Amino acid sequence: MKTIKIMTIFLGIVVLSCTNVTSTWAEKPTNIVFLTWKPNQPEVWDTVIESFHQKNPDIHIKVQVGPHSSTQYHAIVAQRLKNMDKSVDVFFMDVIWPPEFANAGWALDLSSKFSAEEQNKFLSGPITANTYQGKIYGVPCYLGAGLFYYREDLLKKYHFKPPTLWKEMLKQGEVVLKGENEQGLHIYSGQFKQYEGLVCNMMEFIWSNGGAVIEQKTGKVLLDDPAVVKSLKFVRDKIIARAAPRGVINYEEPESLDLFIQGKTIFHRNWPYAWAVANDPKKSKIAGKVGVGIIPAFQGHNSASTLGGWQFGINNYSMHAREAWRFVQFMTSHETQKILALDAGLAPTRRSVYQDPDVQEKRPHLNAFLPAFKNTRPRPLSPVYPMISQELQRFFSQAITESGSDIPGMAAVSSARIEKFFALGAMIPK
Amino acid sequence: MIRKDQHFYLALLLPAIIVLLLFIAAPIINSFFLSFHRIIIGLPQLKTPFVALDNYLQLLKDPIARHSFFITIIFVALTTFFELLIGLFLALLIHHRFPGRGALRACVLIPWAIPTVVSAQMWRYLFNDAYGVINYMIFGASTNSYIPWLALSTTALSSIIIADIWKTSSFAALLILAGLQVIPEELYQAAKVDGAIAWQRFRHVTWPLIRPALLIALLFRTIDAFRVFDLAFVMTQGGPADATNVLQLYGYKKMFVEGWMGYGSAVSVCIFIIVLVIAVAYVRMVGRRLLEANV
Repeated sequence: MKTIKIMTIFLGIVVLSCTNVTSTWAEKPTNIVFLTWKPNQPEVWDTVIESFHQKNPDIHIKVQVGPHSSTQYHAIVAQRLKNMDKSVDVFFMDVIWPPEFANAGWALDLSSKFSAEEQNKFLSGPITANTYQGKIYGVPCYLGAGLFYYREDLLKKYHFKPPTLWKEMLKQGEVVLKGENEQGLHIYSGQFKQYEGLVCNMMEFIWSNGGAVIEQKTGKVLLDDPAVVKSLKFVRDKIIARAAPRGVINYEEPESLDLFIQGKTIFHRNWPYAWAVANDPKKSKIAGKVGVGIIPAFQGHNSASTLGGWQFGINNYSMHAREAWRFVQFMTSHETQKILALDAGLAPTRRSVYQDPDVQEKRPHLNAFLPAFKNTRPRPLSPVYPMISQELQRFFSQAITESGSDIPGMAAVSSARIEKFFALGAMIPK
Repeated sequence: MIRKDQHFYLALLLPAIIVLLLFIAAPIINSFFLSFHRIIIGLPQLKTPFVALDNYLQLLKDPIARHSFFITIIFVALTTFFELLIGLFLALLIHHRFPGRGALRACVLIPWAIPTVVSAQMWRYLFNDAYGVINYMIFGASTNSYIPWLALSTTALSSIIIADIWKTSSFAALLILAGLQVIPEELYQAAKVDGAIAWQRFRHVTWPLIRPALLIALLFRTIDAFRVFDLAFVMTQGGPADATNVLQLYGYKKMFVEGWMGYGSAVSVCIFIIVLVIAVAYVRMVGRRLLEANV
């Protein structure tokens, strides 16, 4: 009996101490939990959130930092939203997630808050990406697009114009390599690790050869299309271990950018954020020597950039959707986007920021990004995109890792798998 | 009187039983339950129909899973073998009396004490193709011959195996050392009197007596190696071309990245069953050896 008494008292203490904690919460400002990833310039984000606090003393933003990698961040966000976790209010969505998040009922439908008139003030690419079955589920924070960086000083030295064709890039590179005769210098670096970035890089090679992975309207998978196979062979035979060091097979953005800013590659493919890093004399050996433009293409085809970038979403189960919306509005306002553009080098999604005199004066390169931004194409839009992407990553990685790989054979296998995923999506009762 | 006592004992055991049920039995049962359903997180409209053994049948036909199983086996075989071998040498070394033995014993345990994620990150830097220390040690300043260890299918798996051997050999050493310490000194003295040289003393005294400890180390290492996840997750994410996509990582990707809860659970359950079978087989073997050793 005694033991039972002791245990009851113990349990009582536990319960009491729990209720105490909850009751003291109400008097403090509303906590909004913002689940983010580790940004490249954390200090800029801290300043922005601090100024939100000053203007909105009734709201407190609690920042939770997730992994840097998009795939790993997705795993965490999806896991918490799936469990209807109310402890997340605002989260980031990669440009490929809105169909999935909308279909699963995780992201709050913002149509009543985010009016069509307001949407028109944003660039159209990311707005399309945030729209699913006529409703909008996210507010674009900043734009991403594959950009082509190059060493302006080296190209000038050898009297080259920035290449518009892949072949031209290789030719120019050979000349520069011969002329510089510097150990460890390579022509190109990009992201070829088996992860989401591989899909982005390979899409650009495929599109710039007139190919496509999936016919969006019919859902037909075109991996064994000759245009696709040819561009994969080009990457396998001419880029990996030739123009680029073989190590890029295990590189994400930071490692490949490192190579470029250490002056070890002449050309480099990356997102807009790389501009600020490459021109920061504290981090980069090539500050002030960098040019930027659109991704090269294959003969007779047009350049294309993978649409990237991040959006704010609000948890459908959030208890504080109103306060969360105020935060999202602030974070996507002209003023905030201007700060993010000026101090973090992030490309605005609001058209007006590009016309801002301060931005034009201090960030003239943003207008140099615009041609690429107009060339953007989305990755396959589908609620089962994570599955499609995993299979594409596997296929691309196999295709480019082993020389002499049987690309058409592997394409047939992967196509069949992806068509199965589509079949799952088609089972949804309309 | 006895009955009352039993109540008291039960009350004392209760917290431990509750913890075990809550954190071990419940997740295992839940995994089994999930693995009999088709659950796709991103498509909640499809509901979660019961599909009986469908996930398992698909898994049997899944070439990616088969490949993952195959490389996991390679990983388990190589890491376990080398960890026991190096562990044995380390144990023999730190069993000897010499000045600074205490400090060395502590040092040996450092790799094991470092969290795997941290040491995986460290090995990722060591194996780096542009500034990695390993390349520098082999090739010095001639950076052109540097090998991209993590970018080649064969060396990527070997790199992860090496990282695991570095990290867990000391754990094997610790278990074997425990076995060494229970061998009475008199046996060695007797062997010396009989004129046995060092190798003979090892072969006929040490070896038979540490075999039970070795088997226990073997058991722990095999089971642990089968569940390898963090090394591949941090160092390669399963790439290049699935070369390091170990079974557990494959299950994780299915479950948390792609959102196939049912299928991913089936992968986990299979790993669980494989490990369980190994454990039971080893425990029987170890149990028999222990008995033999006592006879």
